[in-house]
Amino acid sequence: MTFKPEELAGPVEMSDAEALWYSGKWIDRVPQWVSVTVLGLAMLGIWWLIAELEFVSRILLPGPAETFEELWDTTKNIVSGGHIAEGLWITTQEVVWGFLLAAFAGFVLGVVVGETRLGKRAVMPYLVSFNALPKVAFAPVFVAWFGFGVNSKIVMATFIAFFPVIVDTAAGMLAADDDTLMLFKSMESSRWQTLRKLKLPSALPFIFAGLKTAAVFSVVGAVVGEYLGGGHGLGELIRFSAQTLRIDRVFALIVYLGVIGLLLFGLVAWAERKLLFWHKSEIFEIQGTG
Amino acid sequence: MIESTDSVDRAGQQPRPVNDEVVRITGLSKTFHKRGLNALDDVDMTLRHGTFTSVIGPSGCGKSTLLKIMAGLIPASSGEILLNGVEVTGPRQDIGIMFQQPTLLPWRTSLENVLLPIEIRSGSAAAQERSADALQLLELVGLGGFDQVRPFELSGGMAQRVAICRMLVTGPAILLLDEPFGALDELTREYMNVELQRICRERDATSFMVTHAIPEAVFLADQVFVMSARPGRIATIVDVDLPRPRTLDMMTTPEFGALVRRVRHELNMGIGEGGEE
Ligand SMILES: Nc1ncnc2c1ncn2[C@@H]1O[C@H](COP(=O)(O)OP(=O)(O)O)[C@@H](O)[C@H]1O
Ligand SMILES: [Mg+2]
Repeated sequence: MTFKPEELAGPVEMSDAEALWYSGKWIDRVPQWVSVTVLGLAMLGIWWLIAELEFVSRILLPGPAETFEELWDTTKNIVSGGHIAEGLWITTQEVVWGFLLAAFAGFVLGVVVGETRLGKRAVMPYLVSFNALPKVAFAPVFVAWFGFGVNSKIVMATFIAFFPVIVDTAAGMLAADDDTLMLFKSMESSRWQTLRKLKLPSALPFIFAGLKTAAVFSVVGAVVGEYLGGGHGLGELIRFSAQTLRIDRVFALIVYLGVIGLLLFGLVAWAERKLLFWHKSEIFEIQGTG
Repeated sequence: MIESTDSVDRAGQQPRPVNDEVVRITGLSKTFHKRGLNALDDVDMTLRHGTFTSVIGPSGCGKSTLLKIMAGLIPASSGEILLNGVEVTGPRQDIGIMFQQPTLLPWRTSLENVLLPIEIRSGSAAAQERSADALQLLELVGLGGFDQVRPFELSGGMAQRVAICRMLVTGPAILLLDEPFGALDELTREYMNVELQRICRERDATSFMVTHAIPEAVFLADQVFVMSARPGRIATIVDVDLPRPRTLDMMTTPEFGALVRRVRHELNMGIGEGGEE
């Protein structure tokens, strides 16, 4: 299925079998927050060293200190409602609209594709092949169709975020097992009842996996759209900063792009936890911490 | 599709009153055309009210197919099934079914799972009205107080007991069980067998259970149908006249041992025949 960034975060429990191979390693005796912090500091150190030794020009690679200083200036600009705040707001709108449209269209069409014979047999192969295309390559087409304004950015975000939702939703529609489907048939369940009471709830883990990917992809879509020019969003500011060799500002703006993506992702993950309290992944979490 | 001469013949052989019959199957055959596979061939049987029938046979001989046809889930190729005198042409409220997996909906509580068949057939309001019955059923299977628990908190045996309640809640005339305890460990399984016997006796149920464990087949049954493979047919019926209620201790008696040996022998004969064809 699609990749799950949350697997990169949070405490990682080892299975007993895994422990057989790794037991006694020092890394397991150190609390996780310590190893994460140490590695982070080490990477900052390497960055600082490379910048300090000027392997590349200071202008092309600003050090951590300049970058954090710029991040602070950027933050002040945002808080005081400056032009970066405006850019942040524009990009946030593009991302959120792109995500919502992709989530809605992807969900509805995914259910149709996964639920109908025609969808499963004829549409699904196209979806899977289309999904393998480098979708950012379509960005200029959308600019041609929808102009340089906000619309082409929203369409691009929707376009990229749509695929993981429709593919995962369609796959999720097949998640209910044969015996349970038999059981529903034995209860004379109508197609609509089976959909509502069995197939959709069974598909939720898949749908959320798709939505989480979409949350990340919609940021990618919006920024790619902005890179082609015309807007006033963060992507445009990044493009301009890079052209004027303000790499420190590029880095600071990318941090804010990350914040948009993480907030959206976090919101979806939160909704997932609320709705999927019964699912295996959540249950292990409950038992693991409880 | 009724072979009238055959049913007349059989009626002549069996002097019992007709109203005692819950299920009557005549000349039932099933061919899976896609694979040209003759899964069931000319199966005849009668299930009497309040009796327990075990079905045993080599894997792939058509036991599950027979059960699904009886449940109206898949159509027969030929032959007839009467349930309480009415031909089975599709799923019916008076047919209860249960599989090897509990097939509980993990997002529903035990109570909501038990009420599912009512909810599907008659709506949420009707299901709500029947909660008292459902709670009583949970009590009957020893799950009193577990009504608000979700499946992930239940052991395999407990989950199957919830599935039993869900099967019973519509008050079915026949219980169809497809290897219901096949996924449980041996001790839980024996315990569940005793429980199932108790529940069936208490409800005066007519039951038809597929199993692949000979002692389990004998322990629960009034009659054991031994099936042979390719084509699937009922090769022999072994009557089990051990007194009820049966206890686990009875499984060590010579009488029980003799019945187990008899079923095993018939089973081997059937497999031998199948192999030669
Ligand atoms: N839907 C189906 N289509 C084609 N063949 C089937 C189908 N269902 C079962 N079969 C075949 O019919 C035979 C009997 O299957 P089944 O009733 O499941 O056996 P059992 O439950 O006795 O192990 C097997 O050979 C199986 O492969
Ligand atoms: Mg089977």
